[in-house]
Amino acid sequence: MTYSFPEEVLEHVFSFLTSQNDRNAASLVCRTWYEMERWCRKRIFVGNCYAVNPRVLIRRFPEVKAVELKGKPHFADFNLVPEGWGGFVYPWIVEFARVYPWLEEIRLKRMVVTDECLEIVSKAFRNFKVLILSSCEGFSTDGLAAVAANCRNLRVLDLRECEVEELSGHWLSHFPDSFTSLESLNIACLSLEVSFSALERLVSRSPNLKTLRLNRTVPLEKISKLLQRAPQLADFGTGAYSAEIRPDVYSSLQEAFSGCKKLKSLSGFWDVVPAYLPAVFSVCSQLTYLNLSYATTQSPDLIKVISQCHNLQRLVVLDYIEDMGLDTVAVTCKDLRELVVFPSDPFVADANVLLTEEGLVSVSQGCSKLQSVLYFCRQMSNSALISISKNRPNLTCFRLCILEPRAPDYLTFEPLDVGFGSIVENCKELTRLSMSGLLTDRVFEYIGKHAKKLDMLSVAFAGDSDLGLHHVLSGCESLRKLEIRDCPFGDKALLANASKLLTMRSLWMSSCFVSFGACKLLGQKMPGLNVEVIDERENLNLLPENAPVEKVYIYRTVSGQRLDMPDFVRIMGKDKNGVYNLSLCDKGL
Amino acid sequence: MDVTLGLLPDSPAGDDGGGVPSGGSTTVKSILTKEDNNKNNMVMCSEVSSSYPVGDQNLGDLELGLGLSIGGGGGGGLKGKVVAGGGGWSQYARILTAKDFKQNSCSSSSCSVSIPNSATDSVSPTNGNSVVGWPPVSKAHRMPSLANENKSPTGNRISVTEQTKSKNRTVVINDYSNEKARISDKKYRSVKVNMDGSLIGRKVDLNAHTSYEMLAQTLEEMFFRRRSSTEAAKSSRLLDGTSEFVLTYEDKDGDCMLVGDVPWQMFLSSVKRLRIMKNSESNELAPRFQESHERRRTDVV
Repeated sequence: MTYSFPEEVLEHVFSFLTSQNDRNAASLVCRTWYEMERWCRKRIFVGNCYAVNPRVLIRRFPEVKAVELKGKPHFADFNLVPEGWGGFVYPWIVEFARVYPWLEEIRLKRMVVTDECLEIVSKAFRNFKVLILSSCEGFSTDGLAAVAANCRNLRVLDLRECEVEELSGHWLSHFPDSFTSLESLNIACLSLEVSFSALERLVSRSPNLKTLRLNRTVPLEKISKLLQRAPQLADFGTGAYSAEIRPDVYSSLQEAFSGCKKLKSLSGFWDVVPAYLPAVFSVCSQLTYLNLSYATTQSPDLIKVISQCHNLQRLVVLDYIEDMGLDTVAVTCKDLRELVVFPSDPFVADANVLLTEEGLVSVSQGCSKLQSVLYFCRQMSNSALISISKNRPNLTCFRLCILEPRAPDYLTFEPLDVGFGSIVENCKELTRLSMSGLLTDRVFEYIGKHAKKLDMLSVAFAGDSDLGLHHVLSGCESLRKLEIRDCPFGDKALLANASKLLTMRSLWMSSCFVSFGACKLLGQKMPGLNVEVIDERENLNLLPENAPVEKVYIYRTVSGQRLDMPDFVRIMGKDKNGVYNLSLCDKGL
Repeated sequence: MDVTLGLLPDSPAGDDGGGVPSGGSTTVKSILTKEDNNKNNMVMCSEVSSSYPVGDQNLGDLELGLGLSIGGGGGGGLKGKVVAGGGGWSQYARILTAKDFKQNSCSSSSCSVSIPNSATDSVSPTNGNSVVGWPPVSKAHRMPSLANENKSPTGNRISVTEQTKSKNRTVVINDYSNEKARISDKKYRSVKVNMDGSLIGRKVDLNAHTSYEMLAQTLEEMFFRRRSSTEAAKSSRLLDGTSEFVLTYEDKDGDCMLVGDVPWQMFLSSVKRLRIMKNSESNELAPRFQESHERRRTDVV
């Protein structure tokens, strides 16, 4: 029985499907829907750039307007992925330039972006609007200059924590006088000074500017000028928040801030001089996002600001806030959804601040909407974790980093298995978990049993045996990303759960006990996986098959072997003859 | 039906396929040799063993099999019989010797296993030897006063696929501190390290270290695996001449020099590669440093 449903109607219906997962599901219904959907999908998300290649993407989706790609594994943020590993966006940009002349948005995370890529982007896409580079590297201010000069309709230029080769600050001046469409500019990660007059002129002629995050070099005295030109700002990041204490500077700053009636997000605050903090008091009650993680000032100063932020939803702060400050948060910020506390001095063994588990417990008690936590501290107890889990069963993201690896419960000296177990048992909607402290296989048993919605798990210095890994791989039904370092997990659990890896985006294991032989076997038997051995030692050919590899990164892919690997990356088991693809290591000697 | 990779424990009764429901597929030769087992067991927690039959099973009996299983899931061919420990780890002889696996009796309150392959047993950053990438704070959130901990292992590698002209560039680190960065401009500077008598060379990131002491401890840990919390307090044996090995480097002129004689920064600018040399070979060193080396040796009583 056939029916015909006008394409226009289907297309209209599909336009309400925004999530990629929903669109993927719709495309599986029947061939008609597949065809219909692929022609009208405008936004693409590729979580692992090596899971698929540009040609496959382009063949299926001919009318794409926005692309988001992610490259390196998450642990690259912590220097665990050697330079040159991969994540090059160039081949993608070349294909997009060829096929998607109407591409408007590119979002990249942990990818290598060169100046040539930026030049292509600036010239190939006439209606290009949004460029967001998050933790990317490989480009210089020349590339930025090309974007500034050529993207006539640019709305968003957002450099989040990128590593930019800074040849000069002059690039900003390349935005032409006719350019007025800017809505969002984030240059906080740059260290060179940009021309302030160029910046001021740019801000003046951008009536739609909503987000402006400056870099450290913009002096405090000049901020009031910018704020006066852009009172419509919703998101502002200061530069260095320090100056000689002068009443005229202070009063113009205070006045400028109070003119920003729409300001909801505030960040920056490098080198903060506490005397200038009250200048922001007038906007505190409007704020939903406050980032004080560069404000190296003591708890009382921080408290004075935070105690006025009644509508705060996201707070990022250093551990200078201390337990006392977090008590204030618990009392004041009743709408808080996310708390991030970074360590001020992570490499010192003794506590330099009075921040303990108590602060987190306090916030978990006082802030009923708290969903997401990233917390660095020096001590933790099972009882605190249990309290937190009972106070906040609505937690979706719980990342706890106790600075000392394998630190036990500081009260009982037991492992923290029971505490984390309580978290996964009570927080049934938990999708992301990072653990630390002393942990045995038992915690993994709890996780495998209870963490059914867990999507991403990060583990370090934990577990006793392969059993731990096996619990996780066999029990966590929703697991897509697993990253492990320095745990005694080896071949057995990995091989026994090989098929699980096809349901996941990726698995990272470094400084564990996974052997070359196991990697080879996995690569040979599982054509749908790339098993990348990342190992910088020389003469690997001389090591026996049962020797452990330094790092292994396993991900599912329809794209097969990648061809851009450096010599320290080998994809195992893909050679036709069954001999694994070990490059000759002695060429460097 | 899914085809999954499962570990099939041999059952003594000899039915084929072990725990796999519809076995009979090809089995792959075991990668675990049937070495004599188990003088050194991996640690097992007594609480866990109640659910799984754990014991001193000989890992050599495990075969890797391509098993057919009904339904998905990661269990594969493993039907509730997981070997959590047992012997046979000693075949990892080359990198980890049997001695590396401490025998721990497991109490109910704490189980810990020493992981020789990981950097340290305890992070004692005050003596300068931290674990790479720990704590997990990204570059953007490392605070200004800690410029020496900026261990980003990036270098000047050039992409293979790109047709751009190759640029040998140094990348500017976001220098949050007011003082100049004490380390060279390159973020990651790795040099090769070879030890006499060892075929496996390593690489070490010089920019991750701020002193000879720190470097020597990293090398000792890489090559000698003598890392323990008691040793941490002592000065490095490689540097003070009490070891049978001595730490040397090849400078940009090609000369072989003893490590430790010039200021650290000067060393960084001239070192090309490192060599851990046997003491008996040390007469190859450039003469003017031999004297100070000899002096050092006689100082040690």
